Amino acid sequence: MDIRHPIPGNGGDWITRFGDIWKSQVAELQKVFGSAIEEVRMPVVYPTDVPIVYVQKAKILEVLQFVKASEGFSYGFLADITATDETADPRFEVVYQLFSQTQLCRFRLKVRVPEGEDVPSVVTVWKGANWAEREIFDMFGIKFSGHPDLRRILMDERWVGHPLRKDYPLKGYQIFTDSQAVDPERLK
Amino acid sequence: MGKDGSVGFVTTRLDDLINWGRKNSIWPLPFGTSCCGIEMMASLASDYDMSRFGAEVIRFSPRQSDLLIVAGIINLKMAPVLKTVYDQMSDPKYVMSFGACASSGGIFNVYSVLQGIDTMIPVDVYIPGCPPAPEGVIHGLMRLQELIAQGQTQSQKRLAQLKQV
Amino acid sequence: MTETREARRSQTDLPAGYQMEHDPDDLWGDARVIVNIGPTHPAMHGALRMVAKLNGETIEKSYCEFGFTHRAKEKLGENRTYHNFAVYTDRLNYCSALINNVTYALSVEKLMGIEVPERCVWIRMICCELARIMDHLICIGINAVDLGAFSFFLYGFHQREEAYTLVEKLCGARLTTSFTRIGGLMGDAPDGFERELKAWVEKTRQVIDEMDDLLTNNKIWKKRTVGVGVFNKEDCLQYSFSGPNARAAGIDLDLRRDQPCLFYKDVEFDVPVAQNGDVFDRYMIRLSEIRQSLNILSQCADKMKKGPIWSEDKRVRIPEKTVVHNTMEGMIHHFKFFMTGFDVPEGEAYTQFEAANGELGFYIVSKGAPRAHRMRIRGPSVWHFQAISPMVEGEKIADMVAALGSINIIAGELDR
Repeated sequence: MDIRHPIPGNGGDWITRFGDIWKSQVAELQKVFGSAIEEVRMPVVYPTDVPIVYVQKAKILEVLQFVKASEGFSYGFLADITATDETADPRFEVVYQLFSQTQLCRFRLKVRVPEGEDVPSVVTVWKGANWAEREIFDMFGIKFSGHPDLRRILMDERWVGHPLRKDYPLKGYQIFTDSQAVDPERLK
Repeated sequence: MGKDGSVGFVTTRLDDLINWGRKNSIWPLPFGTSCCGIEMMASLASDYDMSRFGAEVIRFSPRQSDLLIVAGIINLKMAPVLKTVYDQMSDPKYVMSFGACASSGGIFNVYSVLQGIDTMIPVDVYIPGCPPAPEGVIHGLMRLQELIAQGQTQSQKRLAQLKQV
Repeated sequence: MTETREARRSQTDLPAGYQMEHDPDDLWGDARVIVNIGPTHPAMHGALRMVAKLNGETIEKSYCEFGFTHRAKEKLGENRTYHNFAVYTDRLNYCSALINNVTYALSVEKLMGIEVPERCVWIRMICCELARIMDHLICIGINAVDLGAFSFFLYGFHQREEAYTLVEKLCGARLTTSFTRIGGLMGDAPDGFERELKAWVEKTRQVIDEMDDLLTNNKIWKKRTVGVGVFNKEDCLQYSFSGPNARAAGIDLDLRRDQPCLFYKDVEFDVPVAQNGDVFDRYMIRLSEIRQSLNILSQCADKMKKGPIWSEDKRVRIPEKTVVHNTMEGMIHHFKFFMTGFDVPEGEAYTQFEAANGELGFYIVSKGAPRAHRMRIRGPSVWHFQAISPMVEGEKIADMVAALGSINIIAGELDR
């Protein structure tokens, strides 16, 4: 038993409810963006709850704008942005969790990011993506090009290393004797 | 003059009187950061009511308070802030380490968490629990009152040493 | 951003002839002051920090900082077994720890394809609604304390203590409960729990009415809250608002109704929605949600029946103590279960639940090991706190306190 045998009462009816919608959406994406859609993983075939669409890194901004605004998608709610450290090549994956408040279904976009490369920031699409991207920068060291204020958020600004990378030790303390000062530059 | 060379009867009784006053008029500074802060609120609110022990005047200014209740996690980003607040308090000052996180880091032995505030500032009373129940808080407060009455808190001991010098 | 805010801002501008000669962006000019609020300020719940540039008492620009209670829960999720991690979920939104427990259990059960028996689901629903009421009571109580209404807070906190008594009867703990297990619960509800729950519901109804009378029509309260901290529908969508804060701005969405899990399909409740998105509306939404949760609780108490609380799935079933103490196999099973944990099949899932604050999500990526490959926690507070700076721009600094209290930032799920 695994996620491919979904249970009632916990998203179990999603495949019957949204299966056709998802299929048409994925087909539409492949039609519009062609080779920018690297890979598609549908539920039941792959152990996941919603479809995963891998998008070429350079095209992610366009794809997100498309799924946010166009008819038949209307994924207007950015539920989450996060990243995973795959310890493979390419090393990171940035994950966008989307939710459609009209169709009530969810969707997941992913971008593969090799170490040291930038990802286009989506702050222009959702202002709320600002802190989530900062957190990814803080925790994984993935840089976002076009981000208005990319700096550390959870850790101290003087911190060295990115804690959620797999090679960062669980107990890697760094001690500072004074707290972060007020930065008047940020109030301009 | 006592056998150990300490000062005489009148002064000793005066110290007792002062300590009696101190123990019954504790002004806490609640340094509540996380879960323990909620239980601290519970022990200050209607059902447990810390004001019965003369400790209801919550002051958020370190210069007005004499008991620092460190309730909750202190991580490495917060540690310098705590140290500053402690340094700003005037003597005699007491510190209550409220809950497992403040006392030892608790279940969070990770890169970002200070492993116990006693690595940084002297602590008088540790209250165990994650978070402690208000009964435990009241027990801790009464224990602190005993210590203050006996002049055995860290701050009072240090002051006594200074006096002898 | 909104019309009202523009109108407010123009009111605060000085009349012609009194305007400053110097460059308005000159930071150290005579009229601008930089104020650092927090991280230990009483108005900054938990440990948040805000730095504001003030023109008189009006906030011109501000930025927020957090991370002062960062406890690396996501990293711990990759280093602890699935069973052990349930303890850390308590400390996310500690005002409603039971909801976090339930959501975490649901998310791992989704990955493993485990179905739990009916009684377990009802008890979980009772837990969620109890926790929601407790969270809302804290939120509106503290919001009122920040604005000077102390007795309102005491009324709410007394009722919260009574709810703690019920939670203690369930699991022995008050705040950090760790009540759910993957595939079941720590223990069954004691005899007569339904009766006590219904008595508490009736009492709380009265208390909520009393609290409503005490504050809602209070002139000072209205002056401090109506039209303050406005965040309209478009802004809410831009900043991914969810839960009561989004509903206060007119977004008619409740995951309990729209993406139902547990047995929310089988109970009747309304989803209160307001339009203005100010502090007062958020307060009213929370107050009405408490009433709706009370309705759900009494329905749950009626519909709950006796039965098993554990799933029969061998992978996650914690062995009975009698078996552990009396048989060798039982002891080995117990030892293996707690020392190495159980494998979760490969896969990934994002499980969301309507927590007291908004959408709480667990995104778990499993590679088939007893520890998660990635344990992402989506706390609603992060997205709400991010909106504070634009929300209070152009408002008075005292209104910032009201706005911050009303969106209920919990440091535990903000920093994780």
